[in-house]
Amino acid sequence: MTAKRIFKNLTLLVILAIMVWALWPEREKEATAPQTGTEPGSQAESVREVKYEIRMVPGPYMPGTVPMNIGDPLEALQRVADEFERLYPDTKIEFVNVPSLREWLVTQLSSGKAPDILSVNVEDAWQDVHKGWYVPLDEFLEKPNPFVEDGDPGSEQWWDIFKYQAITRGKAAPDGKMYCIVLDMVETGIFYNKDIFRKLSLEVPTDWEEFVDLMKQLGEADYVPILLSLTRMYDWGLDLIFDQLYYSLLPGIDLKKDPIREEYMQGYLDWDELSFLFGKGFFTRDDMRFREIWRILKEWRDYANKNLQSEVLTKLFVTQKAAMYWDGSWMVQKFSKSPDIDFEWGVFYPPPIPSSYSEFADGHDMCVIGGAAAQYEITSSAIRDTGDIATSERLRRCVAFLQFLTKPRNAELVVNEVSYFLPNVKGTSPVEALLPFDEMLKRRYTTTKWVYTFDNRFLDVLRRMLMLYLDGSITIDEHLEWMEKNVASATSTVARRKELQLTDFEKRWKELEPYRKDMKGLPDGAR
Amino acid sequence: MVRKRTIAIHAILMVFVVWTLIPFLFVINNSFRTTSELERSFFGLPKSLGRMATFTLYELTGKSDKIVIRTEVEGDNDWGSGGQTEMKTLEYGDSMRLLWQDLTSGYRLSWKDLRPYTLNTFFVCFITVCGVICLGSISAYIFSRYKFPGRSFLFVCVLSVMMIPQVLTLVPSFLLVKKMNLLNSYWVLILPYVAGGQIFAIFLFKSFFDGLPQDLFDAAKIDGAGHFRLYWNVVLPLSKPIISVVAILNVLGTWNNFLWPFVTNTDPKYHVVASGVYVIGKVLEGTDTVTNLPAMYAAYVLSSIPLLILFVYATKPFIQGVSAGAFKA
Amino acid sequence: MGRAKLFGAGRYISCYLLLLPTYVLVSVFSFVPFIWAFSKSFYRYEVGGESEFIGFANYLEYFSDPTFGPSFYHMGFLTAFAVVVGIVVPLIVAKLIFSLRSEKLKHIYRLLFLAPIVVPRVAVLMIWRFMIYDDGGMINEFLRVLRLGEMATGWLFNPTTALWAVAFIGFPFASGIHILIFYAGLCNIPESVHEAALLDGATGARKFLTVDVPLVLSQIKLLVILTIISWVQGFEWILIVTQGFPGYKTMVPGLWMYYNAFSFQRMGYACSIGVILFLVILVLTVLNLRYFKSAESVQGVG
Repeated sequence: MTAKRIFKNLTLLVILAIMVWALWPEREKEATAPQTGTEPGSQAESVREVKYEIRMVPGPYMPGTVPMNIGDPLEALQRVADEFERLYPDTKIEFVNVPSLREWLVTQLSSGKAPDILSVNVEDAWQDVHKGWYVPLDEFLEKPNPFVEDGDPGSEQWWDIFKYQAITRGKAAPDGKMYCIVLDMVETGIFYNKDIFRKLSLEVPTDWEEFVDLMKQLGEADYVPILLSLTRMYDWGLDLIFDQLYYSLLPGIDLKKDPIREEYMQGYLDWDELSFLFGKGFFTRDDMRFREIWRILKEWRDYANKNLQSEVLTKLFVTQKAAMYWDGSWMVQKFSKSPDIDFEWGVFYPPPIPSSYSEFADGHDMCVIGGAAAQYEITSSAIRDTGDIATSERLRRCVAFLQFLTKPRNAELVVNEVSYFLPNVKGTSPVEALLPFDEMLKRRYTTTKWVYTFDNRFLDVLRRMLMLYLDGSITIDEHLEWMEKNVASATSTVARRKELQLTDFEKRWKELEPYRKDMKGLPDGAR
Repeated sequence: MVRKRTIAIHAILMVFVVWTLIPFLFVINNSFRTTSELERSFFGLPKSLGRMATFTLYELTGKSDKIVIRTEVEGDNDWGSGGQTEMKTLEYGDSMRLLWQDLTSGYRLSWKDLRPYTLNTFFVCFITVCGVICLGSISAYIFSRYKFPGRSFLFVCVLSVMMIPQVLTLVPSFLLVKKMNLLNSYWVLILPYVAGGQIFAIFLFKSFFDGLPQDLFDAAKIDGAGHFRLYWNVVLPLSKPIISVVAILNVLGTWNNFLWPFVTNTDPKYHVVASGVYVIGKVLEGTDTVTNLPAMYAAYVLSSIPLLILFVYATKPFIQGVSAGAFKA
Repeated sequence: MGRAKLFGAGRYISCYLLLLPTYVLVSVFSFVPFIWAFSKSFYRYEVGGESEFIGFANYLEYFSDPTFGPSFYHMGFLTAFAVVVGIVVPLIVAKLIFSLRSEKLKHIYRLLFLAPIVVPRVAVLMIWRFMIYDDGGMINEFLRVLRLGEMATGWLFNPTTALWAVAFIGFPFASGIHILIFYAGLCNIPESVHEAALLDGATGARKFLTVDVPLVLSQIKLLVILTIISWVQGFEWILIVTQGFPGYKTMVPGLWMYYNAFSFQRMGYACSIGVILFLVILVLTVLNLRYFKSAESVQGVG
């Protein structure tokens, strides 16, 4: 008996020892970047006095992470930060990774504990700018970027340094201010398996009818014609098709010309315009075009994978069971670098819908739905040294880092380390594999982004009901009924929260009447 | 006759056992495979393991030149095709190292994230269990052995808390801790856990204390034991089984509690294992999420190990405690 | 841990003092939120926004909410299912283990069934969602291997199978703790009862049903109540596994409350849902106790 007890206790001790070893906090050596400086006196570094500790969420460029498990850990951003710290010895930049859940964001921001520089879609921030959680960056953007050489873009105004001006300017919030720095661009594309296309003598489609025909043929040849997921449908799909069907109506329904953003977005419909239009009968059961959107989406979905919520879509494309895959430019990282891909692939943009496919479409090119990828906002945490934007030194450091980061050399270094996105800085070029997306980004910006217009509740209902409709569990009428109620409650909520005044719109609406006279397919109340 | 019956019983039990344990076996197996392996096929043993065995065989039989591994070629890759690979002959040691890396990549990745979570959970667990046992046993002792006005009323008060469903208090508790500025800290977890855990502990302890014979106390009092002595030297040692049960239940409860940490501690620094496991393996890629399967599976395995250790050493006391009447409702 | 106690008149005071920490904690973290929930449910309260008294509007809104009916139906279904399988299977398994001769084997089996407890519940749910039920997961891959690939579907996201899939998480439901509890109950049945049953000629299944089951009634009662309480209000598993998808086919009231509070920021509304759930639990628990009390008195036990 005693031997057994001794054995048991011994094992316990061993286990405890292993656990302590495993759990022991690692030394600071965990830092990823090798020291680039060749100075032997690097010990002097630890002696410097750090006055400002800045926490930044780098998003996809987090040093030390391995993007898509391919290649080496990232280090470019760390090198940029190290160089910045050499220029500003009183500052230390710490990169943190945070969940992108809105609930988390709200809690952190409201208690002032959020990181100083956040990386979120700026549309999410717009909902909260009136609470003072974000710092408007206009005053800095209108001044020169101190790290840029004289004469180069950005040396007069930081604004000029951005390559895709339209999209960048379009990121201004409804209150007219700019809350983010757009470092890079993303776009979506339909990746396709060139080998399969060759085998079946198929060509890249030039319009939607050819596209559907193509998918039909692929289905008959026993491939999954295209891989779609639910998120793509209610986010990208909805916006793309909406633009295809409603763009021609804009002269008659674009009520507000936002002086700051309109020039670049050319007719974007904001939440207030959408609310007003809803009152006139748009987006209800009577709206023929609205109905048509869902019909087109459903028909498209029928050629796709059975399970829209599947987690293994990439697997199907990699093992060549599926011929096409609609996803974003970040997949280039995987497709161009993973050794598992043993076929030739290409990418094309969704083709326009001709009027022969839908009476409300006119065949104009599909718009851009991507745009800004890494958007960096400075939160109110940054001004916690003085509490005031005008006097905060911490804020100035944060701004300086962002200015430093958007210097062409640095931006290229960081963004091109991964084949995800295209740098948004003049004087840089994207990774060669991403060049096709550069072309796509030259298109016109989308008419509206449903996903960002209303609140989470709207999104929740949209997601759930769209899935049921796409899978055939509810009919188009039931779906429209849900959508109608959903838009109704979303518009009333947002009207209450933001105190919507619609009288100006009424006036404008009457003014635009002559444009609407000849438009077909408008709901009754909209003439 | 008896034998046939026993065999039948064993058969049925084994079916249950197998059905219960199979998913976990798959998890363990898959945690050692690489993402590309998992993408190809769900079933199968870890390739790296097989290769390690074959290469060892080659090395031992002198065929070391057969040790080849597919590695990626450095440099730019053509647009429109995948990463280039080639077969390279490697030293035995190098190949073993590479294969070992593949085998454990999931574990290394997830442990990087999981380690602080585990530390957090240990800390919270420890303090909670101490708090619950202290407060629980003391309060139960007082309820059990002392008469004072309002005693039954107060006791019922405390017990009635068990009737309050968590669902009702979730939102107000959250608002409360937000006001108290406790969000994203250890206390936001510890305090409510102790508050809730002690209720059941009081209940268990009290039933046990009630069952202790009065002579025990009389004898001790004759020996000159004061109140504290009674508690510390007489009652507590006897309650060891109950203490184990309470401790184990609270450790389990704290370890498993997902919703509250998830909602209150959203800073990764304060994540516990339960909420951490939920986010692990989903690496934020671009504007989308891609699941890193081996890391996820490894995370599940790793998060079970501490409890496994607890299990090995605590089952006997637990069963003893349960038999000592902890669950005689 | 030493706390000196006073004698004499101050004796009562020291009792109260010692109970104070317990009470403070309980009040702050249980009573206060409890009361708050009731009061906040009468307000329209959004985080970071104003708080407006609106009387019963939240309750009325919930009753007319399209998720109201389906949520409660799902909750009822899942609870009933859980109670049944949570009692029947562990009881049978406990009995089977109990009937073995070898003590060692009994011990081993108990350990085997208890083993899955080391895996955190969250991990178990994630395993079911991502490994077992997923498109490329265990079930579907098995089907494909058996050339039944046609039947492969997204179990959790197919409207017809979703609710059942959620219910079947935990298959084969041989929960180690339940088994242990029943086993302890079976152990406590005095030998004399077994002998008496043998004399009466009752063996096997009949003996089990008429003799063993009634004698473990108190354990059954406890587990039923605990299961009901946890399933009626529990929604974490739905949150992790389906988030209520597809559509609202796996939505339960608890989850709807969670979404309204933490996603849609409608705190007042969420509180009202919580209050309704509380009342439901209250009613169910009282009914339960009544039922079991009468059942016990009929059996002449307890």
